[in-house]
Amino acid sequence: MAEVSIAEKWGLVVDQDRCTGCNACVVACSMENNVPFTGEDNVAFGRGTYWIYNKRMWEGEYPRVAPAFQPVMCQQCGSAPCEPVCPTFAAVHSEEEQINLQVYIRCIGTRYCANNCPYHARQFNFQDPDIPEPMNSYLNPDVTVRSKGVMEKCTFCVQRIVGGRQTASAEDRPLRDGEVTPACVAACPSGALVFGDLSDPNSRVSQMAQNERQYKLMDELGTKPKVTYLKGGGRNGG
Amino acid sequence: MSDKITRRDFLKIAGAGAAVSAVLTGCGPMSRYIVRRPYTEMPEYNQTGLNTYYASTCRECAAGCGIIVRTKEGRAITIEGNPQHPLNRGRLCARGITAQQGLYNPDRVIGPIFQARGAAGRQAKTTWDETIPLVSDALKSPADQVAFLMGTAPDHLYDLVNELTTAIGAPAPLRYSALASFEGRTTLQEAANRTFGKPALPYFDLANAEVVFSFGANFLETWLSPVSYSAAYGDMRQARPTRRGYLVAFEPRQSLTGGNADEWIPIKPGSEGLVALALARLVAEARGEAPSAAARSVDPTAVAEAAGIEPAKLAELARLFASSEHSLAIPGGGAIGQHQGLAIAQAILQLNVVVNNLGMIGGVFLTTSEQPATTLTEVSNLVQKMNNSQVKVLFIHGTNPVFELPKVLGFAEALAKVPLVISFATFPDETAMFSDYILPDHSPLESFGYQRLLAAADRPVYSSIQPVVAPLYDTRATADVLLAAAAAAGKPLPYTDEVDFVQQKIVPLISAGGFYSAPEIQTFWSRWLQYGGWWVTEQGLDADISAASGSIAAFNDPAALEEDKQFYLVVYPTQLGDGAGANRPWLQEMPDPMTTLTWNTWVEINPETADKLGIHDDDVVRVTTPFGAVEASVYRYPAIRPDTIAIPFGQGHTALGRWAEGRGANPAALLPAAVNEAGDLAFSDVTASIALTGKRRPLARVENRGGVYGEH
Amino acid sequence: MKQKKPWWKQPGIQIAAVLVVLIVIGGIVGGIFLTQTPPEQPIAFPHDRHVGMGASCLYCHPGATLGPSAGLPGIEKCWGCHQQVQKQSPELTILAGFVERNEAIPWVPVAIQPEFVHFKHSPHLNAGLECSTCHGDLTKMTVAEPQKGQNMGWCLQCHKNTAPEQWTKLSDCATCHY
Repeated sequence: MAEVSIAEKWGLVVDQDRCTGCNACVVACSMENNVPFTGEDNVAFGRGTYWIYNKRMWEGEYPRVAPAFQPVMCQQCGSAPCEPVCPTFAAVHSEEEQINLQVYIRCIGTRYCANNCPYHARQFNFQDPDIPEPMNSYLNPDVTVRSKGVMEKCTFCVQRIVGGRQTASAEDRPLRDGEVTPACVAACPSGALVFGDLSDPNSRVSQMAQNERQYKLMDELGTKPKVTYLKGGGRNGG
Repeated sequence: MSDKITRRDFLKIAGAGAAVSAVLTGCGPMSRYIVRRPYTEMPEYNQTGLNTYYASTCRECAAGCGIIVRTKEGRAITIEGNPQHPLNRGRLCARGITAQQGLYNPDRVIGPIFQARGAAGRQAKTTWDETIPLVSDALKSPADQVAFLMGTAPDHLYDLVNELTTAIGAPAPLRYSALASFEGRTTLQEAANRTFGKPALPYFDLANAEVVFSFGANFLETWLSPVSYSAAYGDMRQARPTRRGYLVAFEPRQSLTGGNADEWIPIKPGSEGLVALALARLVAEARGEAPSAAARSVDPTAVAEAAGIEPAKLAELARLFASSEHSLAIPGGGAIGQHQGLAIAQAILQLNVVVNNLGMIGGVFLTTSEQPATTLTEVSNLVQKMNNSQVKVLFIHGTNPVFELPKVLGFAEALAKVPLVISFATFPDETAMFSDYILPDHSPLESFGYQRLLAAADRPVYSSIQPVVAPLYDTRATADVLLAAAAAAGKPLPYTDEVDFVQQKIVPLISAGGFYSAPEIQTFWSRWLQYGGWWVTEQGLDADISAASGSIAAFNDPAALEEDKQFYLVVYPTQLGDGAGANRPWLQEMPDPMTTLTWNTWVEINPETADKLGIHDDDVVRVTTPFGAVEASVYRYPAIRPDTIAIPFGQGHTALGRWAEGRGANPAALLPAAVNEAGDLAFSDVTASIALTGKRRPLARVENRGGVYGEH
Repeated sequence: MKQKKPWWKQPGIQIAAVLVVLIVIGGIVGGIFLTQTPPEQPIAFPHDRHVGMGASCLYCHPGATLGPSAGLPGIEKCWGCHQQVQKQSPELTILAGFVERNEAIPWVPVAIQPEFVHFKHSPHLNAGLECSTCHGDLTKMTVAEPQKGQNMGWCLQCHKNTAPEQWTKLSDCATCHY
């Protein structure tokens, strides 16, 4: 089969040498994207909802033991396994932004997409969000609050991308590099996450994605992820 | 023959029909009738659907990170770091990001409350008009019988109360936070005083250091200023093209910082000072200099043995430290929160003296920070006075001593002997439940103020606090309550209200050479609010430091243990901070970075030891120290010494609202009331024993995406 | 032996089927009725008169050029003119009441989108669209009336016709749904 060329647009670089595993990204994402907290029992049932989660893998034996941290979010595959299996076309590819979308109103909750996602990036709402008054006041009106039975996942904060695009267009100028930052990137205390336009060879994210430490998660599956990881310097397989 | 259609089927069909009509009618037009509360007077700068941003300061811990709050139609939506703020430069940690969950928490105190302590059905609403005279009467009590106990934030209120106590002649306010104890702030400051001759908090230039030795300093998660140190950590690793920084962590339990270190050296608790001295000796010798007298007094081989390291390893690390251009040693809370903590901190700071990095790039500087928190000794003295009925009125703001202080100190019992306890808590926390009146302050996102004692800022900074939303409830700024009461008591302070106080305090900054100025205070004030504070453009800290001849006390060897019966106990703070974060559901749901555990307390134990004792994951064990006992589930943690167990601090609330109450256990019950030479809590040289209870309670772990409850 | 009736002749099934049909029809009729009739407003605002006199739409709905929501005028805006001009009418008496009590006018929005659609006014106005393209001819309405057939197909049809060169962007799900 001939190589399918994949258009590049938005991309994320995760520098695992900077990443400390502090999980600020997890919380920042949840507050921006109205991801509901589910409570102890649901987490214990494996039903906690995290659009981005920190994979912690122990390496070595005591006393030379250390965790390797790897923040995993939707990799926005160029050739996404979740898309062809959706019977309702809820998991679709955005031609404009080159990311994977989840159209909540189409989703009927078959969870085929989650089954097919090799990154465990898709999260299912096993229940309606339970956010009592007045705590629902902080919910972000730019993002739909998902109901029970709907699949959801990281969107690269598409509401910020569209907002930034429209602001730039209203001011009749192109988007600047670094103008759009997803919530996780904005929060990251150690500066491990860099977001930008991969189609622009001069953008910071394109430059960083060329780093010799770069690798893609499960690239051998042919998913063409838009997220690039940079290996840790000392540990993390570096 | 209608038996073929059961009632259940009928309901299903009817339900489907109802759903169809709901689909057809519900999505669009019905949401029209959601109550909308438009502004009657829409502010000019505010537009429906557009964001309005406010710069303020995070008050979730004492670090003082600058924040930008995005609001829409008067609601705080998201919080991000202030990119211009010199401390955090646009970054923020999980605690700051979830601050809205405190603002919009359904369990807040929504108005002044009177409660009869100990009586059933005891709460009654009261009004501010009734309570101001009460506070004013309280201020008129004999001055030496009035006490103020405050938290580490906000600073402006501390300054105000300081002036108030001076005016009425009462003792100066105390500041306490469990986090400050776990950080060992006072010890650090005193150690700096003895090592460098100046009582200031040291600033460690982590970003430019090449070899960093951290002794129990979890600066990536909780220590002093985790956001700014995390940013510096990232730069230390990757900002320099030439050399990647190398981090070595000496601590018995691998913290997040230890986990990120290139080498984690699990030394025996209590041996940190000896190891530091041995390193100082080896480093000095490797540099061809004469070791100090204290360093000469230790034998590196014997120290390595006592600490549980191979002598060759110690020598190798010393060579690394000695040969690097920018070496840095950081004394953290875990190492200095011991009986000999002050000497340990001095020994570790001494390492910096040996490599002569004082005031150099990648070295140690001194901040302008003042006394950050009072010591446990002073708090103990207050408890003593309370027990002796020498305190008639106790005001409590921003701290939760019933929860945070070691139980053995008996704060709750002493509180019962104080005739009038007035709490200014925003939440019905444990201490507020024990008080006569709760006069709720605004939540931090509804308040004015400033933070100025930024422990990790590389320049003088005043960080401004301003309300981002209108107050939700019938709360009142504590500063305003105290000012009104002081005026009514005939001891008026020269300020009309909180804003006036803050403005008068920042007047000197107008001409202090910051990055902006103004002809008068009103213009200055608008810029102060706009930028989120005031600071100078150039990085600048006291680089004029030199080693003083502070002698270091001799160290005892680490306490001996009865193998597999007794364990060193490590109590460490998590993202819940001093415990006040436990009512933020997303902080609870956020996995602990190292264990991925959520919503509970756990006991960490090395798997090897657990196997010997027959302990499995999720077994509930009872941990006992001479001071008390707690029960919690076991998490087999591979990165901890086999002779050590660890418990996170912050859970085990009996109050504080629906998400905090009745969850986990509070290890404050295990802690001693003992202090080190500087007066900080000596929490990390406690030994404990553990026993199986026969119960089992699974912990919610995120590392197991399939869940831990088994088949379901 | 009595012969078993086929399932579609069983009364239970028949009753249920009739009920389902009735409920569905009721739902459809109700839905159409509610979406296609103008809701009752606190003040029967005469758009025709204001627009006819040459008032710009953006005078009262200035948010349309700035952001997602056009906004509804508050008492300040109305009273700004009406404390000077034309004070005598039953509707203006109601307005005066709101002003006197310093209350917000509880306007009922007419042209609204479901919550999973993130419609924004400003890009449409920036692209040169007239208000009347979507909101109808306001010179012929008193209170605003919902326009018929404004579904996704209608949106996409317009996107296709007015800017075919931007079809990739304007047909992208992420443009409206997130």
